[in-house]
Amino acid sequence: MRIDGGCHCGFISYQGEADPAKAGICHCTDCQVLTGTAYRVSVPVDEASFKISGTPAIYVKTADSGNKREQAFCPKCGSPIYATSPGPGPKTYSIRLGTVRQRQQLMPMRQIWTRSKLHWVDDLASVPSGDSKR
Amino acid sequence: MKINGACHCGYITVEGEADPEKVNICHCTDCQTGTGSAFRVSIQVPGSTFKMKGQPTKYLKTTADSGNPRVQAFCGKCGSPIYSTTPGEGQQAMYIVRVGILAQRDQLTPKRQNWFRSARPWVTGMDGIPKNQKQA
Repeated sequence: MRIDGGCHCGFISYQGEADPAKAGICHCTDCQVLTGTAYRVSVPVDEASFKISGTPAIYVKTADSGNKREQAFCPKCGSPIYATSPGPGPKTYSIRLGTVRQRQQLMPMRQIWTRSKLHWVDDLASVPSGDSKR
Repeated sequence: MKINGACHCGYITVEGEADPEKVNICHCTDCQTGTGSAFRVSIQVPGSTFKMKGQPTKYLKTTADSGNPRVQAFCGKCGSPIYSTTPGEGQQAMYIVRVGILAQRDQLTPKRQNWFRSARPWVTGMDGIPKNQKQA
């Protein structure tokens, strides 16, 4: 499906072709820290269809495996945008779902690194909720 | 309880004294975009106890329905969200620190979910999504 989106301040925008069956959640501790929240949600987009305007800041993260990943975020507002492999292509851009305009239509289909999942995320239905701030 | 944490690259570190009852989820669309994820999780840390090393980048967000501007602080080197607070010079009264960066995050269970009307419809049914313990 066609997706488009961007960061909060509007400096970065992108579009591309995403496979909704590949939307997924990552519970690894790196993703917890880099999002500041419980887990990350992403959907992959191939390099061939990916177009971006604005220049993101790039942070190169080295995993326990030694694999390096480029983590792109907006240098002005901090919104995470994507991760991809360093160096020459072919690349896949793992787009951060919270920045995708069509996120309502994208359901995560799998969860990885559940061994570091925060214990409460399966019980959100029991946490009191409201439609505004308090 | 004492809380402490750091951004991914280690440039920013934070510590403070926080009430574990004051852990909230925010499902607003601003927080979805600002985390790139489904929702934000934060804990209130009084400014009188909040200490930080490193200089975060600050983004003044002015899109709240209330009209209230908020300072959103993140690490300019690795992008990790750090806190939000009120605009102004010097130490502020309260810092809303992002739970994902805290060493104690597994002990900090959210007590309240705000802006639930814009929650992703699947967040309360996570147990039904297939799981891998590691990557696959």
